[in-house]
Amino acid sequence: MNPTLSEPAAAGAQSQRVRQLFAEQWQNTLRHTDRLFLWLMIIQWFFAVALALLVSPRAWSGTNSSIHPHVWAAIFIGAIITSAPVILAWRQPGKTLTRHVVAIGQMLMSALLIHLTGGRIETHFHVFGSLAILAFYRDWRVLVSASVVVYVDHLLRGYFIPQSVYGVAYASTWLSLEHAGWVAFEVIFLIIAIRKSLQEMLVLAERQAKLEEVNSTIELAVAERTAELTREIIERRQTEEKLRASEAQLVQSQKMEAVGRLAGGVAHDFNNMLMVINGYTSMALQQMEAANPLRKHMEETLKASDRATALTRQLLAFSRKQVLQPRVLDLNEVILGMEKMLRRLIGEHVELHAIFEPALGRVKADPGQVEQVILNMTINARDAMPGGGIVTIRTANVSIDQKTSFRNRDLDIGEYVMLSINDTGIGMNEEVKSHLFEPFFTTKGIGKGTGLGLATCYGIICQSGGDVRVYSEPGSGTTFKIYLPRINAPLDSAPASDSGELSGGDESLLVVEDDKAVRAMIVSALRECGYRVQEAGDATEALPLLDGGAHFDLIITDVIMPKMSGKDLYDHVKKNSSLIKVLFISGYTDDMLANSGVLDEGGFFLEKPFSPVKLARKVREVIDGMEEKTRHRRRIVTPD
Amino acid sequence: MRVLACVAWLLAAAGGMAFIVNYEGRAGHAGETPQQWPAQKLVARDSSRDTLVMFVHPQCPCTDASMEELNQILARAGKSVAAHVVFFRPANFPADWTHAGLWKTASAIPGLAVHEDIDGVTAKIFGAETSGFVALYDARGQLLFHGGITSGRGHAGDNTGESAVVALLSGHDSFVKQTPVYGCSLNSESCAIPPAQIAK
Repeated sequence: MNPTLSEPAAAGAQSQRVRQLFAEQWQNTLRHTDRLFLWLMIIQWFFAVALALLVSPRAWSGTNSSIHPHVWAAIFIGAIITSAPVILAWRQPGKTLTRHVVAIGQMLMSALLIHLTGGRIETHFHVFGSLAILAFYRDWRVLVSASVVVYVDHLLRGYFIPQSVYGVAYASTWLSLEHAGWVAFEVIFLIIAIRKSLQEMLVLAERQAKLEEVNSTIELAVAERTAELTREIIERRQTEEKLRASEAQLVQSQKMEAVGRLAGGVAHDFNNMLMVINGYTSMALQQMEAANPLRKHMEETLKASDRATALTRQLLAFSRKQVLQPRVLDLNEVILGMEKMLRRLIGEHVELHAIFEPALGRVKADPGQVEQVILNMTINARDAMPGGGIVTIRTANVSIDQKTSFRNRDLDIGEYVMLSINDTGIGMNEEVKSHLFEPFFTTKGIGKGTGLGLATCYGIICQSGGDVRVYSEPGSGTTFKIYLPRINAPLDSAPASDSGELSGGDESLLVVEDDKAVRAMIVSALRECGYRVQEAGDATEALPLLDGGAHFDLIITDVIMPKMSGKDLYDHVKKNSSLIKVLFISGYTDDMLANSGVLDEGGFFLEKPFSPVKLARKVREVIDGMEEKTRHRRRIVTPD
Repeated sequence: MRVLACVAWLLAAAGGMAFIVNYEGRAGHAGETPQQWPAQKLVARDSSRDTLVMFVHPQCPCTDASMEELNQILARAGKSVAAHVVFFRPANFPADWTHAGLWKTASAIPGLAVHEDIDGVTAKIFGAETSGFVALYDARGQLLFHGGITSGRGHAGDNTGESAVVALLSGHDSFVKQTPVYGCSLNSESCAIPPAQIAK
């Protein structure tokens, strides 16, 4: 670096930034001074020409005249002197060479002006003025260059042409030193001023560096605080989003809960009524002759009762209030078992393709409910292809390695069995997809759908511990992908089919049912089968019978009853005798059985409404100890 | 490359300055000056004191310096010298040509007599061929000094000629009796001669 800069920098342990700021400031000064001299040199040149034209325009010889040599000298020698400093100051401002050439040029210009003014002593002040302006560079070496020019000029002319500079024919070398001494006198003080000026620049640079450091610290603190605030804002937003999601989930849960309670309430009473209708109708049909003209009416009544039963089950399903009776299943077998029915349902204009994973894993689910889901979705696929198309049912083993959410439910990482149902139909837009699983939402038009189909499917899937994903674009078909947790367990055996034959016996039974009509129908049906039946209007009526020492092979009890529930009665019975078998009957249990583990501990369940045949078979199975092998198979309900 | 260019520039500038110095130091032609006051009608010799005569080309810019030096000499000498300035005037030139700046300057100097020399007749008598030529005679008409009183063309300031005249007018002797004259030629046919040929 320039010696002028290195001196103050070396004086103390200045930081890199201080030196940088000092260099920048000094460089600015150099460039500024170069620009100053650029214009000054040009102005001086024009001034020299003007001066020559004014003072000595023409040289005379008698009556003849010509342009005075001073004019030519001002033009051409002035141009030579001015050229290099101007070019360098213009093209390379701030360079070391530039300022030294400027210094030399300025001194030569002084000499030219002195000559053009006839050596006037006043013009010599141009030299001293120029040195002062050259001090603007704040580089003492520039002053040395300028002084050397002055001294060399005097030395050479004093030696070779002393008359031209000292006015005498002979001049001592010391005379040139005397003249140079006056220049040195000024230069020394200018150098002192330059050093002080540089020290001030250094102080300014130190202050600037310190200020920058303080500013940097403040900016850093501000940035950190801003980042902290940003993080807090983001966290708060995330928390708010989670809260909103939780609130939405809560609202959804409350809504489902409300719908569930409504459905449950309706189902409980409605099932009892349907049970009476169904039971007596069935019993009446069994007693009627085949040729009886009323038989057809009774059969229509029974069909209507079945449809009402199916609707009630749907209400319970989507509100996830039904009692699931899960088994270990192979979905391939479930689908194969449904194939004929599905082909019949979708019609001839729609093709049904099935692609099965050969080594498909097993799932634990209620087979009747799974069939319900497949059926609902296949019928929806059919309805989405009024002009025909292809329905593809596919099974596969999948591994979920990233947690995903849908409708506020998370599908956790793990092994799943995927069941997909794809159609080539009209597809769905985002609006439809967002309401797809809501109860009573339908795109099928009034009278064509209840809007409970997919809501039921969703309820069943969720209640089975699975989840569903929908992929659809308008005009590109729709794919439902159902994920059920894969398990490693042996397959459960298939239930026995309905035979239509009443299974009887002579065991002693206790029927506890608060609904008088239902109780009467059950008691009637069982007595017809030969059983010895006692009845109680609720659990409190049953307790004296039980505690009084009466022996019962089986207690058949409703679940939800006033005063004391069927579950409490079960607990009481088990406390006194763990050998007594209990068969729960209910259309809606309000989760009393599902969450209590009663069914896993040896309790049995028969869903209302049921027919006398089904009741008789179930009773026989329980008494004979076949329950574990022959669980009730749900009836497939045709969806909306 | 840049340094070489700068050196070339420096040499060119130095050459230019050398040209100027050379021009300024180039003396004018010197004629034969009579040792005794010559007979002529234009300038009258004062027999009671020294008489100084300067010959001037009225348009010569270099003679400004000579006039300035003369002014200083007369200021120092006071009434010890009778001073005259003789301006060259071609016969066919208007008076304004002569009565220009130098004429006015000379007219303003106290104790200085100003004359017009038609066609330079008197100048030839005194051997003056270059503007700024000075001839100093004593009261007896004896030539004491002749030559220029500047150190170069148009260059004012201390110089040998001026010092010699001042010394002589102060009653001292001077080693220098003759100096080169720097100025325009009073005569159209004259040409410059090298300073080396000027007798000291």
